[in-house]
Amino acid sequence: MREVSVIGAGMVRFGKQPDKTLAEIAWPAVKQAIDDSGVAKSDIGAAWCGTALGGMMSGQRVLKAIGLTGLPIVNVENACSSSSSAFREAWIAVASGLYDVALVIGVEKLTRFGGGTLPLEREDFEVAHGMVMPALYGMRAKRYMHDYGLTAEQLAGVAVKAHDHGALNADAQYRNRITVDEVMAARPIADPFTLLHCCPSGDGAAALVIAADSVASRYSSKPIRVLASELASGKYLTGYRDMTTPEITVRGAKEAYEMAGVGPEDVDVAEVHDAFTIAELLYYEALGFCERGDAARLLEDGETSLGGRIPVNPSGGLLSKGHPVGATGAAQMVEIVRQLRGECDERQVDGAKVGLTHCTGGGISGFDHGACSIHVFCN
Amino acid sequence: MAETVHAEPPLIAGEAVRVGEDGRPTLIGSVCSDCATRVFPPVPLCPECMREDMAQVALGRSGRLYSYCTVHVAPRGWSVPYIAGYVDLPEGVRVFTHVVDAAEEQLSMEMEVELTTAVLGNDADGEAFSSYAFRPRRPEGDDA
Ligand SMILES: [Zn+2]
Repeated sequence: MREVSVIGAGMVRFGKQPDKTLAEIAWPAVKQAIDDSGVAKSDIGAAWCGTALGGMMSGQRVLKAIGLTGLPIVNVENACSSSSSAFREAWIAVASGLYDVALVIGVEKLTRFGGGTLPLEREDFEVAHGMVMPALYGMRAKRYMHDYGLTAEQLAGVAVKAHDHGALNADAQYRNRITVDEVMAARPIADPFTLLHCCPSGDGAAALVIAADSVASRYSSKPIRVLASELASGKYLTGYRDMTTPEITVRGAKEAYEMAGVGPEDVDVAEVHDAFTIAELLYYEALGFCERGDAARLLEDGETSLGGRIPVNPSGGLLSKGHPVGATGAAQMVEIVRQLRGECDERQVDGAKVGLTHCTGGGISGFDHGACSIHVFCN
Repeated sequence: MAETVHAEPPLIAGEAVRVGEDGRPTLIGSVCSDCATRVFPPVPLCPECMREDMAQVALGRSGRLYSYCTVHVAPRGWSVPYIAGYVDLPEGVRVFTHVVDAAEEQLSMEMEVELTTAVLGNDADGEAFSSYAFRPRRPEGDDA
């Protein structure tokens, strides 16, 4: 396998854009990534488009707008991990030598479903019985609070940190700072979550251009090396499961660190899948940033805030930057690429050399999550 | 023509629940005749050994509440708020359920709960539907 680097990154600000088509939402992100990379359209060998709910031929509809057609375009659906899975497919194709340059797109338009909780697959037994994502995460949170003594106020602190970071990101859906009291007093969604414990619904897109290292320097003065590209599906269990630890992330992190040749102590900055406040705390532990049960302390000590030992979600994360499902994985990578290039101004993690993205989701009975994709990058 | 009178709205759980002549529900799972893997709800194929030799079994009527939370926002049709929970049955199977006949404050992790049925919402035509549910376990004989 050849070494591969990211040479172009682009995204549009996440938010509600009900009057735009999927293609209209996405093309500015794609154009930005291509312009940033310095490649000509004709240099791109193939494209992968991740979207969970965008519908048929999403990639073709997007690329038609910028006149990039005729090449192989593959549409990838893997719930929240759609565009991180798309990235992995592109990485495999470039690393294997099939193409020198490839394009990855993540796009979603959730406003076409109206508001409320994410529409889940109705054929699933638990969904048919009233399971919704906030309830799944809510039960994780309640059990974690019981087992480890986490308080509702500590949990609210995750949202406060996310908004502190998002306030510094022009691409974030929410750019307002909030207090613990405001989080606690917001409209209840699923105990212990109020609205501000839950990522917002919205639209958005992000894109990346990747290239084999043998050609990357031809285009980019700051290629960002892909150290690990990992994807796992959840393990179906018919019996009991410890809901205070996400097995799919624990397993994926082990694989990703092995592939990258680094450990959690080497990670300078991370974008993790904080769909709900509890999720970020579970992932601190699963990704090895702290021991089991220590996540709240890590947060409270400021270690995961900008300026701390391992800043997590400097972009604002899903809670503040937003979560247009299929766009999220690619957007996390855009943030890490910009961090590793030193382009993040007020929210720059000083001296960041190794960055990690973690994207997981998909509510299916008997699974922790349906999919999880972890990537490690370095400059 | 005589009017049909339903004692209770239709159950949505399909073959996963049976109601006996005494009106008491039983959850139905599958057990693999070859490797003894147990599954809820029932399936025709063993997810462990792939044999198509699954026998339906009645599961225990009581279990322990693994976790729970009150749901305030749900898709159209569900009566909100409701309490969602996971119940661990002694057969080694975890069941997603609604928890009824109790406020969230009256619940605790690992408490004993027992099977019942409950009206949970209304379908697209406005007709009530029900399913299995669990409630805090009551003392023997108190079946009201
Ligand atoms: Zn079997």
